[in-house]
Amino acid sequence: MKHVNFYYSTKLTFDDYVHGHSFALRIIPPETETQHILSCSLNISPYVSTQQTADAFGNNVTTGYLKGDHRFLDFEIKGSAEVDHTKHRTDYMPCYLYQSQYTKPDDELKTFYDSIRGKCTGTVQDRAAYLCDCLSDVIEYEKGFTSTTTTAAQAFELKKGVCQDFSHILISLLRLDGIAARYIAGLAFCDGETHSWVEFWTGDHWEGIDPANNCPVSDDYLVISQGRDFRDCAIDRGVMFGKYTKQLQLVRSVLT
Amino acid sequence: MTQTKQFTKAVGNANEINELLRRYGVKFGIYKNGVFNEQFFPFDPIPRVISAEDFQGIEKGLVQRVNALNEFLFDIYHEKNIVRDGVIPEDFIYISKGYLAECEGITPKNKVYSHISGIDLVQAKDGEWYILEDNLRIPSGASYPLIARELTRIAAPQAFEENAVVDNRGYAELLKETMENANCGGIRAILTPGRYNAAYFEHSYLAEHTDSVLVQNDELFVEDNILYHRTYSGGKTRIGVLYRRIADEYLDPLTFYPESLIGIPNLMEAYRSGNVGIINAPGNGVADDKGIYYFVPKMIKYYLGEEPILKNAPTYLPFYEEDMKYVMEHLDTLVIKDVAEAGGYGVVFGSDLTKEKLEEFRRTIIAEPRRFIAQEVIDFLDLPILDNGETVMRKADLRAFVLSGETTRVWASGLTRFSRNPDSFVVNSSQGGGFKDTWVLSR
Repeated sequence: MKHVNFYYSTKLTFDDYVHGHSFALRIIPPETETQHILSCSLNISPYVSTQQTADAFGNNVTTGYLKGDHRFLDFEIKGSAEVDHTKHRTDYMPCYLYQSQYTKPDDELKTFYDSIRGKCTGTVQDRAAYLCDCLSDVIEYEKGFTSTTTTAAQAFELKKGVCQDFSHILISLLRLDGIAARYIAGLAFCDGETHSWVEFWTGDHWEGIDPANNCPVSDDYLVISQGRDFRDCAIDRGVMFGKYTKQLQLVRSVLT
Repeated sequence: MTQTKQFTKAVGNANEINELLRRYGVKFGIYKNGVFNEQFFPFDPIPRVISAEDFQGIEKGLVQRVNALNEFLFDIYHEKNIVRDGVIPEDFIYISKGYLAECEGITPKNKVYSHISGIDLVQAKDGEWYILEDNLRIPSGASYPLIARELTRIAAPQAFEENAVVDNRGYAELLKETMENANCGGIRAILTPGRYNAAYFEHSYLAEHTDSVLVQNDELFVEDNILYHRTYSGGKTRIGVLYRRIADEYLDPLTFYPESLIGIPNLMEAYRSGNVGIINAPGNGVADDKGIYYFVPKMIKYYLGEEPILKNAPTYLPFYEEDMKYVMEHLDTLVIKDVAEAGGYGVVFGSDLTKEKLEEFRRTIIAEPRRFIAQEVIDFLDLPILDNGETVMRKADLRAFVLSGETTRVWASGLTRFSRNPDSFVVNSSQGGGFKDTWVLSR
């Protein structure tokens, strides 16, 4: 068990006024078996009335609507939690066994899986660790080559990517191997930005694995959201009207 | 057919009625090669007549079927008992494009998912009715027989003095009650993607007849998880129930396709919070998937403990080994349907294929067994239609409209579509067919 303090902020700035701005934030960490939220405050500027709901995947969703003209949207969360990975989460959904939009393998990824599947044996944990090893051998961690809309198949073709891409490829391989897997967006010590990793279903509970660092998940990881792939977990999604052409996004996150 | 004689008065006015339909703008839109065209939906004046006794059987069967489908949708988005109990293989649910994980755990008001169900039936030569397809994602078409009846009344009022036809004008009232049952507090609204949508005529017609506001997405917004209509004076009116025909994936860019320009941001959060009813419920596609169709009779037994009253057309799933064997042996006599397609697309008759095409198709089915269902070709009862003053016989089906509000009711009418091509079994309006009024006799 570990006590952690977390902080995350995003500053969105537009180069012209926008209005009619609807947003949905998945930013408040969920209370689960493995993490107990002791405190959490959310600040949004400009002032806007918000509502909280929980989505199908168990994420806390904060929605709001900024009707009038504005040029920025800032939001931040601050809080503390107790993380304990000796306990287990059991919130299974059958859809995690099936490929989703970002994880759907192409022929190249399928061929790769076929070339390694022979040695993919043992317990579910063994198989997951093996697939993660195989992935680390062929993919380089490198920024600037992929974006938030890059799929597992595209990143695999590039053989380069960031944590999001590693997660998508591992999920794709796990699902090909008949293991249910889900995407996790969260905060981790080893990272200055938001991080992403994977949970696989052992048949009894979820276990975390960090493919970008090829290591198991420890109490140094705080879950913010989860889903079939990145699409279900985006920290902020928004739609707005206006003549702006550029939007600048500054993100800062700290876990101590 | 002796019956036909009774309708000569209506028949004699065919041109007049079609002229009125044109003048009233009764059209449907169709996209071909990326170009939008509006077509008149050709009306045939000889009505399909269903006896009171025949209709009673259909009615019971349809109510039973739709009730089971609604139970199924609730189950799939909650406990999934039907999968756990092995009645439907898990694959069929989660590979289906219509299954939306985003809808897990949502319970629409009064547990109704399919408020308006369009069930397509055909009558075989032996008089037996078979279900061809369930349409649970806001089926279109009810306005056509409504307006045709209205115009026939004008052109040939005598036809209704001489025949005991059940009045079909109650549809709007039925729809209004159905909408009210799903209403979470606020006005009724019908969302249209706009003038260039295939069903624009229908949207405007239904809005007018159900006292609903016809709206486009840019007039709507969600604030505090409540759906509002922006009024002309700059105020806002709360919407309690929204009838929409845009596809689920375009409904809310913050939940589904982010690139959707025809949706309403955060509508799904308002819906999940129980602040607005959506007609029909998002996620219904999992129940009208052509692959799931096979399991509907099993659903009826599972949820209602009853024997299905109406039969499915004999269907095979290549997914099952035994069925695959049958399909491979009888491919040249079966009709094969691609489960992902709709509107008469993706339907192949084995008898139409050359030997080479048949072999090629065989390999496609073996490679993707889950993608297809195979059905026996039913020997439809042909219906008379008027073709340049002559009566000819053509294939026809019937789309029955079943409305689920406080209770489940079948509209005593329906859309009879026929194929204008004498050799074709495909009656979809998007494939150039026409329509008839459907008369249910009161005695």
